[in-house]
Amino acid sequence: MSEKSRGLSKVEEICSQRSGRAKELKDEGKKIMGYFCIYPPLEMLSALDLLPYRILGDMREPITKADACLPTVVCPFDRSALDLGLKGKYDFLDGVVWAHVCEVGEKTAHVWRTYLNPAYFHFVDIPHTIHKPAQNQFVQQLKDFQKTLMSFTGKKLTSEMLVEAINAHNEQRSLVRKLYDLRKPDPPLISGSEVIKTLKAIMSLPVKEGSELLREVISEVGERKDGVPFRPVRLLIWGSIIDDTPLIEMMEELGANVVMDDTCVGSRAFFPDVKLTPDPLEGLAYRYLVDLKCPRTFKESTYGETKKDYLTDLRSRFSYISDYAKEWKVSGVVLQSVRYCDIHGYEVPGLGDYLDSVGLPHTYIEHTYDERSLAPLRTRIQAFLEIIRS
Amino acid sequence: MTWYFAGVDIGSTMTKVVIMSDGGDICSQVIGPTGAEHRRLANRVMQEALDRAKLSFPEISYVVATGYGRLNVPFADSEITELTCHAKGVASLFPEVKTAIDIGGQDAKGLKIKSGKLIDFVMNNKCAAGTGRFLEVTAATLGLRLEDLGTISAKSTHRVKISSTCTIFAQQEIVSRLSEGVAVEDVVAGLHDAIAVRVVGMTRRLKIEPVVVLTGGVAKNTGVVKAVREKIEHEVFVPPNPLLSGAIGGAILGRDIVLGALKEGKPIPKKERALEEVTFFN
Repeated sequence: MSEKSRGLSKVEEICSQRSGRAKELKDEGKKIMGYFCIYPPLEMLSALDLLPYRILGDMREPITKADACLPTVVCPFDRSALDLGLKGKYDFLDGVVWAHVCEVGEKTAHVWRTYLNPAYFHFVDIPHTIHKPAQNQFVQQLKDFQKTLMSFTGKKLTSEMLVEAINAHNEQRSLVRKLYDLRKPDPPLISGSEVIKTLKAIMSLPVKEGSELLREVISEVGERKDGVPFRPVRLLIWGSIIDDTPLIEMMEELGANVVMDDTCVGSRAFFPDVKLTPDPLEGLAYRYLVDLKCPRTFKESTYGETKKDYLTDLRSRFSYISDYAKEWKVSGVVLQSVRYCDIHGYEVPGLGDYLDSVGLPHTYIEHTYDERSLAPLRTRIQAFLEIIRS
Repeated sequence: MTWYFAGVDIGSTMTKVVIMSDGGDICSQVIGPTGAEHRRLANRVMQEALDRAKLSFPEISYVVATGYGRLNVPFADSEITELTCHAKGVASLFPEVKTAIDIGGQDAKGLKIKSGKLIDFVMNNKCAAGTGRFLEVTAATLGLRLEDLGTISAKSTHRVKISSTCTIFAQQEIVSRLSEGVAVEDVVAGLHDAIAVRVVGMTRRLKIEPVVVLTGGVAKNTGVVKAVREKIEHEVFVPPNPLLSGAIGGAILGRDIVLGALKEGKPIPKKERALEEVTFFN
C-alpha cells in the first residue's frame, strides 16, 4: 500500500485491492479472521489481535463455481461470497467465523466449512428473538466462541482485553456516526457511493487503522469545496446488503442523493455502541442481539401480551427509520432487496404500511446482486423520483 | 396562436406518437412497429405524425419521450418514464381513474392514481409471463393470429387451466392439452385467464380501487379484458385506442411543462434539437 495516499484516495486504493492490507499484515505474522454478516462480535477478535475481515461478494464477478454446491434459488449475495471462496479469493484467511443469521447463511456456513476447510471455523448460533432467555442463551454462545478462540490463538481472553477492544470499536462507531453527520447538509458533503466504499475499506482493516482512515476522510470531506452536487431528491435506502456502488450511482445519475441508509455495509453495522457491563460478554450479547436492527431477528412490541395492535407493533419496529428520515431530511425511501432474501421480503409489507402512516413515499425494488441486472430497475427508480417531485 | 406538443412512446414492440394542441385536441397519432432499429426509426414515425397533422417539426413546442426506448429519442426535450406518462394519459381519458393496468409487449404495470397523478406502481420482474410476448409466443404455437385470439376465446365453453406462469413452460402445457384433445378456444381462454391472474395478482399489491382502466396493446384483446374483469369483479374500462395512453400522457406533460414555465415567466426548458436520426454523437 502506498505511503502517500490518505483519506478518500486511500479508500479507493483499498477497495481496488481489498485484501492488500490484510495480506501485508499476514506476512508480518498477524492472523486474519474472516467473518460473515454483521453478527459475529468483532471485539472478541480484535481483543486477541486477530484482524476481523468481512467476507463480501462481488456483484461484478459472474457466479461460476458456487452453483455446484448451493441451489440457484437462494440469496445471490451468499452464492457470490461462496463463489469467491471457491475461486480462492479468501485463501489468505486463517480462520472463519460464521453466524446463524438467516437460513441460507446457516447452510452456506456448512458448505464453506466442507469445501474450504479453514484451519479455524466457528459457527455462532444467534437466537432469533430478543427476550431475556434468548439474551442469556446468546451469552452462553459467546462463552463457547471465547473458548474456541482462546484454543486457536493459545492466548487467554480476559475482561480487560475485551473492554479495551470494545472501547476501540465504539470509538470507530462514533467516527462512523460523525461521517454520517456529513450527509445531513443539502447537498451532502459526502456521496452515498463514497460512504459505502469507506465502510467497505474499514471492514478490511484493523480497528485502529480503520478509525484513523475515518478521521482522514472526515477531515478531507469537511474541507473540500467541490464535493457532491445538489440533486433534487434525498433518498434513504433500506434493505439487504449493498457492498458496491452501481445501484447508488444509478440513483445519483437519475437526480437523487442517497443521504442515509439502513443497510449492513452502512449504519446498521455501525450505529449502536456496546455498553460496558460487569461481564463484557453481556454487553456484547445485548448489542449484537437486541440493538442491531437486521430483520433476521424477530422483533415485536407485544412479547408476552395476548393481543397485537398492528400500528403499535410497526412503530416499535420501524420508528427509527422515520427518525433517520427527519434527521437526514429524506424525501423518499427505497426499499431494496436481493432476490430470494426472505427476511427482507417479509418485512416489506409492514414497513410499507409504516412509511404510509408517517407519510414517507417509498418504493420496493428487487435485484439479483449482479451489476448487469440493474438496468431494468432504472425505470422504477426514475418513476419513483418523478412521483416524489410531482 | 396554437401550440403543439408531442408525446413519443417507444415501447418494446410498438412506437406511438401523438401530437396534441394546447386545447387538448389530438392532431395526429401514429403507431408503428419498434423493431431492432428503433434508434434510427423514431424520427421517421415522428415525421409521419407531423405530415398527418400538416405541421413542421419547429412548430412543435415541446417533445416528451417515454417508453423503454425513451433514451434514444435525440429530438426530445425531456424523457419521462412510461409509468408517469401512462398515468397522466389514462387520467385525461378517465378523470375518475384510481387503478390502471397496462399490459404491453414486454412488461405489465399496475398504476395507482390519485387526483390524476401517479402515486404508486408495480411492474413485473424480468419475465414475459403476463405480457403481450406471452400471447405472441403461445399464439405462434397454436398457429393463430394474435388479433384473432379474442374472438376465438369467446367461443370457449370449458376453459382449461394453464397452471404455469412461465411462457416457455406454458407452451409445453398447451402442446400437452392439445394432445389430450382440448379444443383450441378453451386453451386460448385459459391463456387469457393466466395473464389476468398474473397481472391482477401483481396489481393487488396496490389495493385495486375502481375506477379501473386497462391499457396497452393486450387491452385490444377482448378475451383478456373479459378475464381481467372477472378477476377484479369490477367494471374495467378500455380507452378507444389503448396503445396511445403513454404518448397522450407524454404530450400532456409536455404541455404542462411549457404552460408552467410561461405562467412563471421562465424560459421554456427546450433543448437544441432537430428531427434527425440518432447518431454516435447525439
